[in-house]
Amino acid sequence: MNKGNNPSAETRRPDRAALIIAVVLAAIAGLIFWDVSRLSGLAGYSQVGPTTVPYAIAFCLVGLAIWTAAEALRGDFGHEREKQEFGPVVWIVGGLAAQMLLLNTLGFSIATGILFAMTACGFGKRRLWFTIPIGIAFSYLVWLIFAKLLQLSLPAGPLERLFF
Amino acid sequence: MGTFDFLLQGLLVAAQPMNLLYALIGVTLGTAVGVLPGIGPALTVALLLPVTYKLDPGGSLIMFAGIYYGGMYGGSTTSILLNTPGESSSIVTALEGNKMARAGRGGPALATAAIGSFVAGLIATLALAFIAPYIVKLALVFGPREYFALMVLAFVTVSSAFGDSTLRGLTSLFVGLTLACIGIDQLTGQTRLSFGVPDLLDGIEVTTLAVAMFAIGETLFIAAQGDRGPDKVEAVRGSVWMSAMDWARSWKPWLRGTFIGFPIGAMPAGGAEIGTFLSYAAEKRLTKHPEEFGNGAIEGVAGPEAANNASAAGTLVPLLTLGLPTTATAAIMLAGFQQYGLQPGPLLFATNPQLVWGLIASLLIANFMLLVLNLPLIGLWVRLLTIPKPWLYAGILLFATLGTIGANPSVFELGMLLAFGLLGYVMRVFGYPIAPVVVGLILGPLAEQQLRRALSISQGDITVLFTSPIAAVLLVIAALALIVPLILRARGRGEVLAQLAASED
Amino acid sequence: MKHFFLASILAGALALPAYAADYTIIAPANPGGGWDQTARSLQTVMQQEGISGNVQVQNVPGAGGTIGLAQFASQQKGNPNALLVGGYVMVGAILTNNSPVTLKDVEPIARLTGEYEAIVVPAASEIKTMADLVAALKKDPGSVSWAGGSAGGTDHIAVGLIAKAAGVDPTKINYIAYSGGGEALAAILGSQVTAGISGYGEFESQVKAGTLRLLAVSSAERIPGIDAPTLKESGVDVVVENWRMVAAAPGLTDEQKAAVSADIEKLAKSAGWQEVLKTKGWQDTYLAGDAFKEQLTKDIAATETVLKDIGLVK
Repeated sequence: MNKGNNPSAETRRPDRAALIIAVVLAAIAGLIFWDVSRLSGLAGYSQVGPTTVPYAIAFCLVGLAIWTAAEALRGDFGHEREKQEFGPVVWIVGGLAAQMLLLNTLGFSIATGILFAMTACGFGKRRLWFTIPIGIAFSYLVWLIFAKLLQLSLPAGPLERLFF
Repeated sequence: MGTFDFLLQGLLVAAQPMNLLYALIGVTLGTAVGVLPGIGPALTVALLLPVTYKLDPGGSLIMFAGIYYGGMYGGSTTSILLNTPGESSSIVTALEGNKMARAGRGGPALATAAIGSFVAGLIATLALAFIAPYIVKLALVFGPREYFALMVLAFVTVSSAFGDSTLRGLTSLFVGLTLACIGIDQLTGQTRLSFGVPDLLDGIEVTTLAVAMFAIGETLFIAAQGDRGPDKVEAVRGSVWMSAMDWARSWKPWLRGTFIGFPIGAMPAGGAEIGTFLSYAAEKRLTKHPEEFGNGAIEGVAGPEAANNASAAGTLVPLLTLGLPTTATAAIMLAGFQQYGLQPGPLLFATNPQLVWGLIASLLIANFMLLVLNLPLIGLWVRLLTIPKPWLYAGILLFATLGTIGANPSVFELGMLLAFGLLGYVMRVFGYPIAPVVVGLILGPLAEQQLRRALSISQGDITVLFTSPIAAVLLVIAALALIVPLILRARGRGEVLAQLAASED
Repeated sequence: MKHFFLASILAGALALPAYAADYTIIAPANPGGGWDQTARSLQTVMQQEGISGNVQVQNVPGAGGTIGLAQFASQQKGNPNALLVGGYVMVGAILTNNSPVTLKDVEPIARLTGEYEAIVVPAASEIKTMADLVAALKKDPGSVSWAGGSAGGTDHIAVGLIAKAAGVDPTKINYIAYSGGGEALAAILGSQVTAGISGYGEFESQVKAGTLRLLAVSSAERIPGIDAPTLKESGVDVVVENWRMVAAAPGLTDEQKAAVSADIEKLAKSAGWQEVLKTKGWQDTYLAGDAFKEQLTKDIAATETVLKDIGLVK
């Protein structure tokens, strides 16, 4: 799905990325069919039960998949895709993943400080030895304000426990 | 004492210097917390309510009103400047508002939002004071079938208002509708598309999806442009203040937004978002500058923002007249009122006039304070855009995740934030519009539940959907909105349509 | 940003005299709901009565409280300062959601409040008494639509019990689930449905104003101050109470359990709590220790039966 960097605007060849999108849409439809088929109808007095709407959505998704595939084959899917640089994306996704995994052990400030630094890194501030402390300090300040003064519950870690 | 005397007395109390200060503090706090993406007015009010307990009833009521309006308004600032709507009701604001901010017109966008909120809040609060009992009668006529018709109308108008490609708009919408199916089916208690994951049982949180798709998706997309984009956005081009032209184009949307938002807010199952959707669709159809829609049309900010604030006041109609808390925010307010010994209900206006009018006067004052606080700050806010990108986006992600963690500190929720952030990024790469996903998630369950309720009550008789006059009228409007453009298009190029088409390509 | 911090500090000065951290209360629901209100009332009273210096409330919403329950049982294990608010709705939700974590995995301390179900009809309705409603239900169960809370919740269970007691097939009830109390109430007031069922507090002001007619309440005996017969008196042998409780974390020592129980008892007997019960209109149904646990076991068994009868649990 990430193969979006082929400049397909003027080509009339089948659009590979669009075909993949069509397949994904069809797969989602299949997933809905599979999951909903195990529900009991249990509609009560309404003829529209818990399964009706998901089925309708799945049918429409199949239709959209066919439509997308048709446009892809005709090369009509269009839309100029700008060249994407994946380095920064990986940095930021990594930062979010790191925050998610470290949050409950290292606490809000350290985990979020790492997210902060890795995002800045994705945007070109590469000096992590400099940005991580800034990030942690800033996150700590934010934590103080929201957790201590405004009583928002934000997970505390070793750094937060050091002072409170 | 008559209505006016009570209101006057309330205003006199609320206008004492100390109380004005409390209003200002309330508005500031409400804005400060409400500005965080993911923290909507409900959580803002819940967090800050204890602050008001320390004051005397008059002061606490007014500070509370300030927090409420501040929390409502806070979300639009980040929507406009950073394309990260703080809650579902400011999603539409981001569509045009952020385009304006990118073009150096963030100042006028914020100003029209603030003044629109004020105008809407003023009219809606007065409407609350004087016609609440009539509005609430209208709201009660709305049963499942009328709501279903309203949702159909919302779907039709909204889907026509998004994006330049029908295929992409529909695909986005259906992705949203699919996400909407996840979780426990409200009417039968069965789980759908949850795959045994307990965290999915309550479905996808709208704010999580909105924050992820907008804030994180946007950040990833900007980052992936590498060095091509300018390092800074030009914060101000032209005046930071609204021009005569801006005023001329804003006042009608303010009023229209108010008249759309207030009654929808007053409906027990309306919700602020639907008013903003309808207002946006209406402005897009009525504008004299259709080519600007999608590129930063001021009407597209003025209308929805007014609708948003008017529906916030509208929510108070069922709360004060019937004791019906129709939103999470209203439920928390109900808890707050009980602190003042106020038991909302049908007898409230009769048994407790001082407090009710005190509250209404407080709302008026708080609304005014919101303007006082926010207009001078606009110059400061737009300067946010001059922060160099690495720090700006690092900060956006910090606050976006802070909101999510504060609302629900679970690793799973953060995982969803990341997953939907990636989805938002990929959709941007391929030119899919983002808003219909969120619209699908909001409207999908409402439409489905109301349809099923209506059919259940009628024991399966489908004709009930059309036999209520209100439902019939709404469905006819929806049908017209769907068919008329098709006919016009089929008959060749009407002048307006040619213009519309030009804007759509 | 500067005004931001300034404001926050101001707020802090107003909100917080400096205390050491103490209890953390998990409200397994979104802000605004009954459990959240209970948790926040506990917070206020505990601080005010000096039972605990600083109390934090944390919302862990989801799936009838089972998400909060599961998270509480695993993350707070052995933590004597953590409390969980819960209630009867959780009992049903655990069954309908097949929750792997149940109330056996936490340490229920005491039942604090309770509310009885009330059955109402719009004032203009032809149905005047509970007997009329039961007659209509017997004649054609589908024609009687009931508005109430979420599917499988207390309201739904109560309707199932009423049908069963009236000799009507519980799978045939026409129950219309609404998410919030407000929405259901609007449907009843607007005569969109035949009857409504919810906690009495939801309807109180409407009943007093004469816009709703109260047919019966689900208590064992008449409630003082409420002019309505019990279901039992009306010939429907059903008693349902929607109670709320507080539980401690699993894995506590006996001393720790005793300390928490003592704190909760102090709270329940305090003037501040009694005041809260009065302003919120909650019944004081304080029940602690083994008596509470026994009641809990009975409730769980009865709920399982009725959910099976309605067809929500297999």
